[in-house]
Amino acid sequence: MKKKVLSLIMATTMVAGLVTGCGDSSKTASNNSSADTAAVDTSSADNTAEADTSSADNTTGDNAATESTEDITIKLFSNLPDRKNGQGLVEQMIIDEYMDANPNVSIEVEALDEEAYKTKFKAYAMDGMPDVVSIWGQPSFLDEVLDAGVLAELNESDYADYGFVSGSLEGFKRDDKLYGLPRNTDIMLFYYNQKMFEDNGWTIPSTYDELLSLADTINAAGITPVAMDGADGWVLACYLEDLLTKVNGDCRGIISDAVSNGDFSNPVFAEATQILVDSAAAGLFQTGYDSQDYGTAMNLFTNGQAAMFYMGSWEASMALNEDIPEEIRTNIRAFTMPVVKDGVGTATDIAAWNGGGYAVSATSEVKDEAIKFLNFMYQNDKLSKYGWENGVGMSAQDQSAYMTGNETELQLQILDILNGASSVSGTPINDCGPSAFKTSIETEIQSVANGTESVEDFLSTIGQSCK
Amino acid sequence: MKKLYSNKLVILSLVFPGLLVFVFAILAPIILSVYYGFTEYSGMGTATFIGLENYKTLFHDKAFGRSLLNSLLLAIGFICIQHPIAIVVAAVLDKLQGKAEGFFRCIYFIPNVISVAVIAYLWKFIYNPDFGLLNNILHIFGVQEKINWFSADLAIWSVLIVLIWHGFGWGMLIYYTGIKNIDPVLYEAASIDGADAKTTFFRITLPLMKPVIQVNVTMAVISALKQMETVYLLTNGGPGNRTQFAANYLYQQAFKAFKYGYGNAIGVVFIIICLIITVGLNTLFADREKKA
Repeated sequence: MKKKVLSLIMATTMVAGLVTGCGDSSKTASNNSSADTAAVDTSSADNTAEADTSSADNTTGDNAATESTEDITIKLFSNLPDRKNGQGLVEQMIIDEYMDANPNVSIEVEALDEEAYKTKFKAYAMDGMPDVVSIWGQPSFLDEVLDAGVLAELNESDYADYGFVSGSLEGFKRDDKLYGLPRNTDIMLFYYNQKMFEDNGWTIPSTYDELLSLADTINAAGITPVAMDGADGWVLACYLEDLLTKVNGDCRGIISDAVSNGDFSNPVFAEATQILVDSAAAGLFQTGYDSQDYGTAMNLFTNGQAAMFYMGSWEASMALNEDIPEEIRTNIRAFTMPVVKDGVGTATDIAAWNGGGYAVSATSEVKDEAIKFLNFMYQNDKLSKYGWENGVGMSAQDQSAYMTGNETELQLQILDILNGASSVSGTPINDCGPSAFKTSIETEIQSVANGTESVEDFLSTIGQSCK
Repeated sequence: MKKLYSNKLVILSLVFPGLLVFVFAILAPIILSVYYGFTEYSGMGTATFIGLENYKTLFHDKAFGRSLLNSLLLAIGFICIQHPIAIVVAAVLDKLQGKAEGFFRCIYFIPNVISVAVIAYLWKFIYNPDFGLLNNILHIFGVQEKINWFSADLAIWSVLIVLIWHGFGWGMLIYYTGIKNIDPVLYEAASIDGADAKTTFFRITLPLMKPVIQVNVTMAVISALKQMETVYLLTNGGPGNRTQFAANYLYQQAFKAFKYGYGNAIGVVFIIICLIITVGLNTLFADREKKA
């Protein structure tokens, strides 16, 4: 009898252990996501609480909005984990505003940085997407996502009055159907320290040869000419895109052909790559640029150890960042890639594109509300206005109406560059192909730039990765 | 109690959870890996069966070759640099006795206690050409040049130094425990016979440490092969693929290039290599034991 009791206890313990181990998958998922979103939970929880309270008030009170009293939760999956600064702050401001205007709606945010975001996005694609997601209107990201059919189609005519910059929706379309909306217009720039330039008598280069000779002069003064984030690969790829634009003008056609045929033998690619290789060899970038990441490169510039910093217009908020010494912060200005010798591209043909944006899940249970929220975000006085006021770069919508008179010199300069552009490059080369191509070019470009791989081998390897 | 253990229900209840974990957490993923290794799969949509295509590509993949070469270099570094020093340090620690023994044992083990992420960023700063500690020290000794420790030629050696330094504590601790298990009577006898420290080390300590060395060498080779997190945080395999290691390359292919099929093929080859090396090392050591 004693033996039987013991057997029974052990068997029960085993079963209990299994049950506990397996648990409820939805609960586990929600626990995980709450851990991931620790940074944003506070504000969103506060807001949810506020929303719930007001919702309760509404149901007990004599409000007229009886049609939408049903509680709705929208899950937003974002690639902006910093909710206190920059674009994350702008996104959070709009979320808060939407929840205030719609007390029955609560928005749960899960935010991860870009690499982790993209990995989890694929996992979600298999298992059910959150309702509103960050996306990139570039083939390297969007092609596989659209193949999997996880994004809801949007009605393009709804956005006729939203002031989207001409052509900015193209990257988010397939077969003339719209699947997402762009958030930014990104421009690649050389940020420079104006005071350092003036003190040393340096002038803004108008040709690439002038840039290289300026680099010699800056190096001779013991300062790094251009701080470059080479460890990530994509910045070097954007630099190559910039050079391609100067060598050949509009390169969309030749890049698209090269990617679809896996053949980069067009001499334009070799010419632009060779300029990059020669520039690196001539000491344009800091020592060890190919292993230094975003933060390290940016610090070199913001600490005054580098005269220039090659990065996108999203870093225009440096001018407002109080962590950067005032002497440097207030003197940051920008210029675009100078023209190359015998190049077709002019000074106003710039490397710019509409990359990041938002979309709605095709399988969302609250699709209508999610689209309503998406449209709210893109109302003319939301993303564009708040983004402009917080100096987070250029919107993909017309933002000329939001000039406050308090803009930084840098903001105005970037606005001038965009308004004066005769053409924009479109999606940078590394994002023009499948993920395998992106990974390959971002790795191989380090090898070709530091001279350990020939230009021919580089072009042949990235061609192979397209096949 | 004996009767209880002969009850099949009890045996099942004790074995079943472990078996279940083994089947679902180890066996099933390996089987799935083998299956997906024969497919082309982006992680979304459906997987297409492509036979041995992934394996054919893998055998011509220079980056994978480079990552195996780097693993081999690291294994050699562990065996020829880290372990001899670890054995000597363990032997010296054993002789120190008293408070000094505990103090230095702690000091040598500190790198293992610190998180890998901290270690990686610490060394990133030490190696930085512009403001790194290493170049600043060299500057004091008159080296004016900014040495790029992560250049294509130097990067792998810089990474190896970090990995060897980081893993040193574990190796040393295992050797130290091994030495502590040697009967002190042997040392007393040797000292009565007039043996000096060198003779004692080579004639008593080292031969009696053979089983510990075997275990440590096998573990070192396996850890060289599955090296991932430090490299990922330190260089992510760059510049180019100069500091690429198999596990990091697998991650890049599966989760950045979204070639899940190819990533699984790398995983399968990786498991086979690990098995061959483990079996090889065990056979090698077993043969030696027989001869001895």
